Amino acid sequence: MTTDSMGVDDVVATEVPPGALPTTTYGPIVATTHGDAAMGERILDVRNFSVDYGWGENAVRAVDDVDVHLDRSTVLGIAGESGSGKSTLVYAITRLLRAPGVIRGGEARFNLGTDDEGEHIIDLVNASERELRGVRWSSISIVLQSALSALNPVVRVGSQFEQVLKSHRKDMSKDQRRSRAAALLAMVGLDEDRLDRYPHELSGGQRQRIMIALALTLDPQLVIMDEPTTALDVVTQREIIGELFELRAQLGFAMIFITHDLSLLTELADEIVVMYAGALVERASARELYEAPRHPYSLGLLNSFPPMHGERTELTGIPGSPPDLAHLPTGCSFHPRCPYAMARCTNETPPLVEIKGSDRSVACWLHVGDAGVAVPVELSRVATGTKKFDPATEVAR
Amino acid sequence: MRLIGHRLALYALTLWVAITVNFLLPHLMPGNPIQTMIGKLTGQVTPQEINAIRLSFGGGLNNSLISQYFTYIGQLLHGNLGVSITQSATVSSILISHVPWTIGLIGVSTIISFLVGTVSGALLGWTRGSRLDSLIPTATFFQAVPYFFLGTVMLLVFASNLRWFPVLGAYSQNLVPGWHWAFVASLLRYGELPVISIVLSSVAGWMLGMRNMMITMVAEDFVLMAIAMGLPKRKVIMAAARNAVLPSIANLSLAIGLVVSGALLVELVFNYPGVGDLLLNAISGQDYPLIQGIFLCITLTVLAANLLADLVYLLLDPRTRTEVAP
Repeated sequence: MTTDSMGVDDVVATEVPPGALPTTTYGPIVATTHGDAAMGERILDVRNFSVDYGWGENAVRAVDDVDVHLDRSTVLGIAGESGSGKSTLVYAITRLLRAPGVIRGGEARFNLGTDDEGEHIIDLVNASERELRGVRWSSISIVLQSALSALNPVVRVGSQFEQVLKSHRKDMSKDQRRSRAAALLAMVGLDEDRLDRYPHELSGGQRQRIMIALALTLDPQLVIMDEPTTALDVVTQREIIGELFELRAQLGFAMIFITHDLSLLTELADEIVVMYAGALVERASARELYEAPRHPYSLGLLNSFPPMHGERTELTGIPGSPPDLAHLPTGCSFHPRCPYAMARCTNETPPLVEIKGSDRSVACWLHVGDAGVAVPVELSRVATGTKKFDPATEVAR
Repeated sequence: MRLIGHRLALYALTLWVAITVNFLLPHLMPGNPIQTMIGKLTGQVTPQEINAIRLSFGGGLNNSLISQYFTYIGQLLHGNLGVSITQSATVSSILISHVPWTIGLIGVSTIISFLVGTVSGALLGWTRGSRLDSLIPTATFFQAVPYFFLGTVMLLVFASNLRWFPVLGAYSQNLVPGWHWAFVASLLRYGELPVISIVLSSVAGWMLGMRNMMITMVAEDFVLMAIAMGLPKRKVIMAAARNAVLPSIANLSLAIGLVVSGALLVELVFNYPGVGDLLLNAISGQDYPLIQGIFLCITLTVLAANLLADLVYLLLDPRTRTEVAP
């Protein structure tokens, strides 16, 4: 199934032309493998993933041939401007993409864990509705940007927990469900009496905390954060992120954190991928990316936000605006906005390649060995390894 | 609770305004009933008799409008709606004999139409873009066809030619009205075609309204969340429908309010005894007490329906419960 129109393929008639289906070499669910080193601690492995909006001639490529992966209990940051495809990528992987979004190719395998029979891996792209329902929330949960619109306005907070537990933990009694919900609220620092409130009766910070508590209801292995703090003020944002990382330390879930605030991301992610116009342009560890970005776009993003720690720097931003995905520039999509653009950039698309002698990759002609061009000094710094974001001290401050 | 008290006070005020306007309206019509009656009787009665008629209408028009108004209010409070001029019976007894027919026919049709339209609208909204969408132009067609034409054609084809349904009236003329099985069965049988025709001609509105709200709701984040939470599809649809149905509930209350005013065309086409027909005759006969009685009845039901809708809304949508600071 390449379409997932809100997870209701059989009701929503989204016509997919034949031939759009990706070919996979393995079955849809629970391929058991033994001792596959590459998938050892890896819980999410996405390869050659492409997503279109629309069909046929009108199709617009929103995510183009992207590879991302995530290890257990780590944080992957996805950064990029609006329209860079970062949310589309994640919604498509989790099969929550709404019509007319269509997965055009690629694999997304999620490791449900290991037991006596070996690893249980689900192929998210080809999973059936039923299989997906088994994974959703119990293994992968999601926190959306606006908690006000993400919580059903006519349902009390407690009932929202109740619904989840009723659907996934059928053996729980009403009292057990209630106390589980209360315990979850306590984890995010809210009183039990919030359970009897309606979403509109709570503050923005409380609502977002409830969203986080909801996401943790079933102890998922992966929590996706889609700009969870963008709608909040900076103080609340810091508090919530601090709490979030404390919770992660306790519970050990992995996270995919989507934001346009690369500066924030460098402090809390283990690995960061930067997306531009639907493609990955850079992949690096958070520290390396922060201290020594290699792609001019990453540098631009970093200079667009004030750093949370360290010396004052001038905010410069990136000139121009994101490209229209239906009419991408030739060559490197970023070249019209790039201060370092060369003749080659206008007609040749740079591939995402590993930088020699490191485990990071970048898609930029500047860093291709045979370019014969001097790499600008801003893009050739060496990471020095200063301190990283520490949620514990962050909360204390 | 204070909120409900507030609303009730507002409704009392509205009721008073409505009664006053109701009282004044017939007086704005050209002519008056005594003149009409005298006109009909000219040459047959003596001037003394004419004077007697005048007096029998409560001293008639010599009283000022203000004193008439207070008399009217006073009588209303005692439940006295007056005596019909054209039908020599009390207005309340006439209303009691006509209103149940209309409520039965139009009320049942409205509810069926609402249920069918809302449920199908919810499904259409959920499955937007599917083949089911062709239901919409079909339903809209029936709503667009003038009712008297649709009704007449249905009557001609299904009742007169095919004889699937009885032709005219509300029940078989061979039966004595009463609460016995044969009569009730006949009532239902005679009601079928009018109900089907009303539902056909009104279902599109409910369907379109619900479908459009549903489409809006399906695009909301909380529906995406419900899917992401792995809830069963039935619950996801319910979450969207629960929010989408709110405007339809408001419309339903308005529709229920209009039930008593009847559907004149339905009653004419199917020769059904109802309020619409009654009102038409009352107006052409300048029967003030009857007109006022019918209007009062309609006003009261509209207000009651609105109040009901308000209360149901408070129940269904917690956001409306927020009290404004005094």
